Formats: sequence, C-alpha cells, structure tokens
Amino acid sequence: MKVFVVSILFYTILFSQSKKIDQCFQCHMEIGSIQAEQFVNDVHKSKGLSCSSCHGGDNTSDDDAIAMSAKKGFIGKPKPDKISEICANCHSNPSKMKKFGSSVTTGQMENLNKSVHGKASTVANTSIAQCTTCHNAHGIVKVNNPKSPVYPTNIPQTCGKCHSNVVYMQKYNPSLPVDQIEKYRTSKHGMLNKAGNKKAAACADCHGSHNIFSAKDVRSSVYPTNIPTTCSKCHSNKEYMKEFKIPTDQFEKYKESVHGIALLKKNDISAPACNDCHGNHAATPPGISSISKVCGTCHALNAELFASSPHKKAFEKNNYPECETCHNNHNIAVTRDELLGVGKTSICSKCHSQNQQFKGYTAALEMRKLIDDLTEKHKIATSKIFEAEQKGMEVEEIKFRERDINSSILEARTVIHSFDVSKFKEVIKKGEIASDEVISDAKSKIDEFYIRRIGLVAAILFSTLLMILIYLYLKRIEKEKNI
Amino acid sequence: MKKLFNNIYSWIDERVQISDLVKFMSKKYVPIHSHSIWYYFGGVSLFFFIIQVVTGILLTFYYKGSSEQAYESIKFIMSKVEFGWLIRSIHAWSANLFIFTIFIHMFSVFFERTYRKPRELTWVTGVLLFFLSLSFGFSGYLLPWNELAYFATKVGTDIVGVVPIIGEPLKLLLRGSEDVTGATLSRFFAFHVMLLPLIFSLILFIHLLLVQIQGMSEPVEEKVKGNMPFFPNFFLRDLILWLLVLNILAVLAVFFPSELGLKANPLAPAPAGIKPEWYFMFMFQSLKFLPSKILFIDGELLGILLFGSAGVLWLLVPFWDRKTARGQKNRLINYIGIFAIIFIIVMTILGWVL
Amino acid sequence: MNTTTQKKIPRKDFFKYIINISTSAFLILIVYPIVSFLKPPKQREVEVSDVKISNLDDFAIGDSKIVRFGNKPIIVIRKEKEQFIALSAACTHLDCTVQYKKDESIIWCACHNGKYDLTGRNISGPPPRPLDKFVATLKNNELIITKASS
Repeated sequence: MKVFVVSILFYTILFSQSKKIDQCFQCHMEIGSIQAEQFVNDVHKSKGLSCSSCHGGDNTSDDDAIAMSAKKGFIGKPKPDKISEICANCHSNPSKMKKFGSSVTTGQMENLNKSVHGKASTVANTSIAQCTTCHNAHGIVKVNNPKSPVYPTNIPQTCGKCHSNVVYMQKYNPSLPVDQIEKYRTSKHGMLNKAGNKKAAACADCHGSHNIFSAKDVRSSVYPTNIPTTCSKCHSNKEYMKEFKIPTDQFEKYKESVHGIALLKKNDISAPACNDCHGNHAATPPGISSISKVCGTCHALNAELFASSPHKKAFEKNNYPECETCHNNHNIAVTRDELLGVGKTSICSKCHSQNQQFKGYTAALEMRKLIDDLTEKHKIATSKIFEAEQKGMEVEEIKFRERDINSSILEARTVIHSFDVSKFKEVIKKGEIASDEVISDAKSKIDEFYIRRIGLVAAILFSTLLMILIYLYLKRIEKEKNI
Repeated sequence: MKKLFNNIYSWIDERVQISDLVKFMSKKYVPIHSHSIWYYFGGVSLFFFIIQVVTGILLTFYYKGSSEQAYESIKFIMSKVEFGWLIRSIHAWSANLFIFTIFIHMFSVFFERTYRKPRELTWVTGVLLFFLSLSFGFSGYLLPWNELAYFATKVGTDIVGVVPIIGEPLKLLLRGSEDVTGATLSRFFAFHVMLLPLIFSLILFIHLLLVQIQGMSEPVEEKVKGNMPFFPNFFLRDLILWLLVLNILAVLAVFFPSELGLKANPLAPAPAGIKPEWYFMFMFQSLKFLPSKILFIDGELLGILLFGSAGVLWLLVPFWDRKTARGQKNRLINYIGIFAIIFIIVMTILGWVL
Repeated sequence: MNTTTQKKIPRKDFFKYIINISTSAFLILIVYPIVSFLKPPKQREVEVSDVKISNLDDFAIGDSKIVRFGNKPIIVIRKEKEQFIALSAACTHLDCTVQYKKDESIIWCACHNGKYDLTGRNISGPPPRPLDKFVATLKNNELIITKASS
C-alpha cells in the first residue's frame, strides 16, 4: 500500500513537471523570436519537447540568468558539428523514440555519416550536411506533411539549394554538373512532380535519403549495376504504375536482353542501364527519330552505316523506329546470323518476300549465304588447325592468320547494317581469302606430319635387317655347336 | 680397335674381376620346352623399362612441372623440339605396352607356379614391381595437365579418399591440397620422376639378382627337352624380340601419336566420357557396378576393400598355396588365374563399351 | 653389346661386315633423334618473351606495324624518331585486330568502332578494358618488344 502511494505521488510530480509552462518558449514568443514562432508547429513541440531539449538549460525557470546558465547545461546555438549529434540523441535511440510514441525508424545518423554527405565539409569538423540542412531546425514537420522540405514535391528544391548552386558545388566537386534540377524539370518525373504528383520519382527516390552515395560508389542505388533494380522499384510495380498507363515489363525484358545480361550477370558496367538510353535526370523515352542516335552513341558504326543505307528512307517513310524495328527495345536479343536471310527466324522476311520488296529478298538471301559459307569455312579452318596442333605441328603462324577470318565475320555482322551486298561481299571476301589460306596451310602441316612416315620406313627397314642378320647369326652358332 | 678394347677389359677385370661374372652368366641356361615362350616376357618388360628411363629422362629436359606451364611445355616439346613428338609418343606407348607385358609375365609365372619354393621372394618383388608400374602410370597420366588427365586424377584420388581412417589423409598426401591443383601436379611429378624410379630400380635390382642367382625355373608339368645357354643364344633371341618391339613402338608412335587434348581447367565442368587408363578400367568399372549400399556398408568402400585384399592375397600367393609347395597339383590356382583374367577382360571391355 | 658378341667370333667374313654396318646404321637411327632432341630449339622457352623489328629504316615516323608475338598481334607505332609505342593489337571487345588512325591519333577497331588512345586506354565504343601494354626498347637500331612486367 505504501509503495503504491509513493509511486502515485512520484508520477504526479513527474507529470506536473512536464505539464508546467515551458518558460523558454513562453519568453521567446513574447520577445517575438522567429525560431519560437517556427517552433509552434514543430512536430517535436507536439511531442512535448522544449527548446531546452536541444539547447540545454532549465525550461522551468523564468529567470533567464538561471534558465540559460552553463550550470544548467545551456549551450545556446549548437556548434555546427554538434547539431546532428543532438538530433541523434533521440533519433538513434529506439527506446527513447518509443517513449515518445514515435514509429520513425532510427539509424538515419549512421546512414548519414557513411554517405557522401557525411564527409567532412570545408568548415572544420563538420560534415557536409547536417540533419537541419534538409529538415530545417525549428519548424520541423513530418515527412508526409506537404510543408516539409523533404515532402516529395519539395525535395527537388531542397536538394537544389546546394546542388544547383555553382559556387557551393565548386567547393566540393567541381566536375559534378549543377543542372540536375533543370534537366529533371524537363523529364516526365519532373513534370509530374511539379504538378504535385507525389508518386513521380524525385531525387530521393533514386538516390536514397540518408544513405546517398556517389554514383561511382558500388553501394549507391544509382551505380550502373543497381540502376535497373532502382528504376524497377516503381516501374515494375503494376499497382503503383496503374494511373500512369505505361507497361511494367521493361525490367523483365531488359534482364534477359543482351544489355541486361552484360550488365547484371557479367557485371560489365560499360553495358547500358536504363539511364544510358533514357537519360538520367531528364528521363524520357527517346523519340522514334532519335533512337538510332541514342543506340549510335555506342554502336556508332552500325548507326552510321544504317544512315547511309536504303532502309533509312524506307523507315522514315513508314515511320518505323530505326534500330528498334529489327532489334526491339528493352528485350534486345543477342544478334545471330539467323536473323538475316528469308527463313522463319529472319527479320528481313517481315517486309521482304518473293512477292513484295523482292530486291531486298534476294539481297538477304545472298548475304545470308555468304556469311553462312564463311562461318562454315571458319569452322573447318579451326578444326584443321586443332588437328595439326594435336599432331604436334607448329601452328602459331596459322593461328595468327586465323584471327583475320574471325575479324572478317565480325566486321561483316557490322557491315550488314549498310544493307549493301557489294560492301558486304568485300568484307566476306577478306575472310574467305584468309580461311582458304589457313585451311591449305593447316592441311600442309598435317601432310608434313605424315612425311614422318618415310623416316619410319627407313628405321623399320634397318631394324628388320638387323633382326634377320641376328637370326642368321644365331642359326649359325647353334649349328656350329651341334657339329 | 680390338686391342684397345681388350686392354680396357683386362684393366677393369684386374680390379673388379668381371670375368667371374661373365663366367657365371655364360653358365646360365634356359630350359627348352613347349612353354619356353613365356620366358621372354620378363626381358621385354625390362626393355620397356629401359626405354621408359631413357625417354623419360629426355622429356625432363623440357618438361615443366607446374600447372601454368606443364601443358605449354608439352606442347612445346611436341611442336618446337625436334623429334619431341617421337620421344613423347614412345614414352606414352611404351608405358602402356610395359604394363601389358608385365600382366602377361605375371600371369604366366602364376600359371606355371614359378613362385613356389625357392622363388617366393622373386614373386613378391615382381608383384611389387607391378603395383609400382601402375603407380607410374597413374602419376604420369596427370603430367600433361590436360582435361582428361585432370578429371581422371580427380576421380582416382577421390576413390582413395573412400578408404576408412587412412583414406582422407592419404588423399591429402597424394593431392597436396584439398582438390586436384598445381600442388598435385608438383607432387605427381616428384612421385613419377624421383620417388617411384628410385624404389622401382631398387626392387628391380633385387628381382633380377634373384633371377640370376636362382636361374630359370623349370615347369612342373612340361617335359624339358634340353637347355639353351643364356648367353649368347637366349640373349640374341631376346635382342631380336626387342628390335621387333622397338619397331612396333615406332609404328604406333608415328601412326597413333599421343595427342594433348585441351588444357585442364579446374573450373570447367567435367567433359563427358572421362575414362581412366585401360589398366585401371576393370577396377573402375567394377566399382561402378556395385550398388551404393551393400547391407549397411558403402558399396564403393566394399569394392575397394575387396580389391585391396585381393591384391594382398595375390602378393602372398606363394605363402598360402601349400599344395604346390608340397609338390602336389593345385587346380584352385588355375581357377583363380582364369577367373582373374576373365574378370579383367570382361570388365575392361564393359568399361569401354558402356 | 653387339660388338662384344662379334668379338667372340674370330672369323672375319662378309657376314660380319654386314652385321657391323647395319648395327651402326641402326645405332645412328636411335642416336640421331636423341641428339636432335637435346639440341636446343630455336625458340628457347615455352612462352615467347620477345620479338624484334630489325629494319627500322623502313619504319617511317607516324607509321604503325602489326607484328606477330606468338599467335598474338602487336601494334607498334613510331611516334617520334626514338619513341615507339607497343600495344596488343587484339581488341579487348571481340578480338579483332586494331589499327592506328594517324589523323585522329587513336587506335581504332574496324569491327565495332572501338577506340583507344595511344596509351591503350579504351576511350570510346564497346571495348571493356584497355589494350595490354608491351615494352618497346631501342637497341642498336633494333626494336625489341617484350612483355611489360605487371
């Protein structure tokens, strides 16, 4: 019973203490401080925090000499390097956060410290960004409050405070562009964002919030190998994309494409991710006329050849997207020789047949035959080389020549984009000459191997002779003995 | 010329008395009977061994026993070194024929019961030489470091690992690491060119010494028609046979040269049709035929234990064959020998066909 | 061995003459391959370690040459009178042989328009990594190309 009374008493005192008038706030409101006014709507105030929670001091005393005395722990305006620490006092402590009935995650501070913004700034001892840099200091509201600087539609502006400031960015990363926001506004994402759509991706949706890394850092969500997954977070989510009425299978298709396999399976970061074709901040699908330009940034020769080909005009007339018509967009398959020609697997036969566009039909037929013959010859050449090599013949020089066949085949697969039979023939010819040479050289090496048999015959002849002589000799001594 | 030769001979003879040895040798006779032909196989095996030593030494002039260079160095021998292809092919062919003639030599001795008193030790050393030849084959097979050799060695050493208690440490001792790696190659190279030749020569010396001291054994059942002096009559016959063998080797080396295949790649999946050398095929195949569990014992383990004990019994034939020792006929020996031959032939064929 | 057996027979005759001849012929047949086997081959080592260009007078400044290094091509560019650049000529993309484009001062691959700068760095197109470097040393008006020690 006694214990019960004591504890009731104790809690009453505690309760009344916290319910007591917040003297700091009271007084600072009276003197019309902006900070105090901002604090009125602060989420922290609604949770019962006072100025002294961050600034120290005693908020129960109305005597400023006592309330703001160092003895009571008053620190005044926190030093820049202490700001985040003060926030982290509660925000990195799950049990404290629970006490305030908050379900906000903890760990932002650790993430921030690891991130590119956690690195030391030009001001001694402080990191580049503090909590307050993005979240404000006195008027902090919840993230889902449209007034928050980190509310989706406000994010671009918030990030742009620094990232669009040439003078400021110069201090940290002079080579980093500062036009991201400007470009972003031209993108579909940026336009929707501007229109107040909070579902459209803003900076943090791709780059992360507290854990932002440089795009060159493998941990970054926008590191080349991570980009497809990052984009697919929204773009593969049927539910999420419903209102935008665009397909959601790009990632699935991309994953199986030649580019997706190169990037995601072979970790070849020179292979294009989503952004390499669609742009980073100015993300839009390339228009029909610009597809070949976009693909041509890497496949330059193919684009050049195509531009000079008869298909260029025909495609333009029919409004066919250039590369995409034959190769598709997201699910670009590994090219094979079977795509050429007039068979079932060919692309040419989509438009060319014996009845229409006949000229192309014969050209496709001819070119397919040419490359098939060369690959067949190449196969024979390699098998002949292998045979000679297995017989222990010196084939390095032939192998060296064999590279030309391979080069010619590869070049032919490029030149095909000119859709010019004579040009194609020229390239194939080089390979044919090389393979004829290789095959005949390898054959002569194999023949050379069989010449060894002549030596064998000589050896056998002599040793057989010797055997006969020994035998005769043996017969003689045995006969002598018997006599 | 002849005079010089005689001078040198007498100079040496004065000091080490070779004439005694020559006298001893010339007194050695070889019995003539209908089974005399089997006497030649020991000599032919010896000849193959000599060829192996000569060609083997020649190969070490260029061979490099490391996983990076082994394959390349053999390619080098085959393509850049004059007659490299010939030396290597002869070494490979001779190795196979060596084991083949040892098989014949051993079985002929077995059926003739030549192992009976007083030649028990000759038999024991002979069987040991047989086991050593198999080890020569096994260790030499890996040295080219090609795909087939790599996987055959992997399988072969895996089988060793099945033996209880000593299996794992033995496997590790053979491999020199957890898996078949460059360390294994170094070890096998050391076994093949250092350890095995040393032990082999030592035992071979004892084996030949015993043959010289005890002379040729006469068969129990055959009628001996007469005797032939070992020197020069039998020796010259041996010589003719050796020349013939050399011809066969040359033909095989030229028409069926050893190929090199593809370089071993430990990360590549095992190619189809991994087969051990033909002289291991019967064991390999019988292990494959055993069910995975016999009663409560692991089938493979049981097989290995069976082969192990068969080997030991084979080694100790002269000691358990009491009947022959007493001068009686022992038909059991014939049955065992015939069973062993049929078993080996059938299993080997099955191994190649299946 | 044979010689000793003949020694035992005192009779000198034609037969012995033949046997001597064929024995020596046979011995030569055995010894010849062995001796040639032991003779060091022209290429001393398993791996090619260097390659030479001796006629430098034909090699104009600003020209390039493709030379064979084992079965791999090497592109040698004469930049200045005494400055040579030696790089692997196998494109790192799909192994086509690259060429020197003097006007653009780049190394170029015709197959897929891959471009490298003159240090071998891949600067444009599909090549995933730089060309392997080789060392070109000028010695007595002879250019010796060796593998770069990594």
